[in-house]
Amino acid sequence: MIREKTEIELEAGRQRRRLMITSGPGLIWIMLFLILPSALLLGIAFFSSDDYGNPVMPLSTQSFAQVAGYSLLGWDSGNILVFLRSLQQAGIATLVSALLSYPLVFFILSQRPSLRPLLLLFIVLPSWTNQVVRTYAWMELLGPNAPLSMLGHALGLLPPDLGMAPGSFAVTTGLAYNYLPYMVVPLYASAEKMDWTLVEAGRDLYASGLRLFWHAVFPQTVPGLLSGIIFVAIPAFGDYIVPQLLGGDKAMMIGSLIANQFTETPDWPYGAALTLIMLVFTAAGLIAFRVLSKKVGGAEEAAI
Amino acid sequence: MNMPASVRYTLSGISWPVYVLLYTPLALVAYYSLTPHAASEWHGYQVLFADTNVFAAVRRSLVLALGSAFTSTVLGTLLGYGLHRFRNRHATGWLSHGPSLIIYTPIIMPSIVFGIAELIFFNLVHNATGLLAAGLQTMIIAHITFQVPYVALTVVARLAGLDPNLFDAANDLYADAVKSFLHLTLPVVRPAIIGGFLLGITLSIDDFTISFFTAGPGSVTLPIYIYSAIARKGVTPEINAIGTLVIVTVIVLALAHFFITRHRDRAGQFSTRREAT
Repeated sequence: MIREKTEIELEAGRQRRRLMITSGPGLIWIMLFLILPSALLLGIAFFSSDDYGNPVMPLSTQSFAQVAGYSLLGWDSGNILVFLRSLQQAGIATLVSALLSYPLVFFILSQRPSLRPLLLLFIVLPSWTNQVVRTYAWMELLGPNAPLSMLGHALGLLPPDLGMAPGSFAVTTGLAYNYLPYMVVPLYASAEKMDWTLVEAGRDLYASGLRLFWHAVFPQTVPGLLSGIIFVAIPAFGDYIVPQLLGGDKAMMIGSLIANQFTETPDWPYGAALTLIMLVFTAAGLIAFRVLSKKVGGAEEAAI
Repeated sequence: MNMPASVRYTLSGISWPVYVLLYTPLALVAYYSLTPHAASEWHGYQVLFADTNVFAAVRRSLVLALGSAFTSTVLGTLLGYGLHRFRNRHATGWLSHGPSLIIYTPIIMPSIVFGIAELIFFNLVHNATGLLAAGLQTMIIAHITFQVPYVALTVVARLAGLDPNLFDAANDLYADAVKSFLHLTLPVVRPAIIGGFLLGITLSIDDFTISFFTAGPGSVTLPIYIYSAIARKGVTPEINAIGTLVIVTVIVLALAHFFITRHRDRAGQFSTRREAT
């Protein structure tokens, strides 16, 4: 009995060693080059900053007051507006991509099975070209001299010499364009597994098209939709390059605000505090959707 | 799926315009790369091919993409294999979630936070030790970090689809751990390894934000070159010519990969991308 137990323990020890040899390097790499640096970054938020924006002792919460908008000049709503604008942009981009994804996904499913992977590929493909290239492409499509803006001028919808980019409309468009595939793919994954007998049953009971969608189709796609919302909203909220190229001064988002504290006018503790607040928002959203998708049941479960 | 004809028409009516819209901006880049009013329509391309800075940037981008994808494929394959085979599935407690948490951190972390965390870390390390000056090496390290989880997940997805008895059979035949990895695991997960490598290259080519914050003065890669050129003098035919070449390269590579692998198991192809995002 005793011998047997030690044998099991020995085997467990061997498994652990094998796990360390195979998985160890990759896990340590990520801890060393991402988790440790992120912890450092967040730690900096609790230092004071010197004249050059470097973190120095003593510890303080001054940078969080700065985040809330307090400075030597009094209170300013700028930061709050940037946060709200980021939330709003991420929300609208997510909504737009969800609204476009449903017809796209069911369009693909209505095609021959052999054709479906290709149709899906053509949705994903633009998101594989470089972030800068596909974003500045929208500068050309929406800029002051672009055909779309000319049409706007001719119809009197746009003031002359002004394009749709830069501006907040261009940012929303750019974000939705960038992250549309991240909504389509998970939605497709859950729609593909759908049980169509439910739809047939509904049709037999003479349910109208809308009711059929709402009661028989939509509930089955909710797991994919929730994954899609996470995959679109989180990166859209913190996006840097889209508001940077398409936004202009009046459409600044949190990503650019953070980046400025480390490049143009350095203030590391302030930038770190902004990052911390942004990550709190991100984590809260993530946890809320985890809980929600557990409640709904059977969300796309993680592979590991 | 039998849908009424009216539903089909509505779906097509919405979807085809969306497909067109997806490629309109890309097509416009190619259109504006031509210069009908200059001496030659291909003036942008002529300027581009005469510019040695562009060639240097392309070379750095290739070194970055291939170097990081190769390393992350090795690390990610071992990581995925180890987690699938040697992990104690009955373990409980928060520590047992450790590996998953670590793997999903690079995926969930917003790029801007990722990039700035690396910027600060490399800066501190460099000031303290003189090592890891910002440049191509720090960019490669950062790119490896965001690719490893995707490779690992691709490999795990492939392993999860295999018959677990396969490994028991190898054990029964007295194959030791190294032998069973070389002769059994590597051949069966090869499609996932190749897929992971290509995904790594794709992610590397696509990235701007993380590259931007880990680059040094001498490590301007193609996306950074394009970005600073736009910031300096706006979009020129030359920039559109580079953009066109990037777009065409990505589309050709993706289609080639698609049609080469079309006869193999394609089920996993998009599921990895789903987790990838």
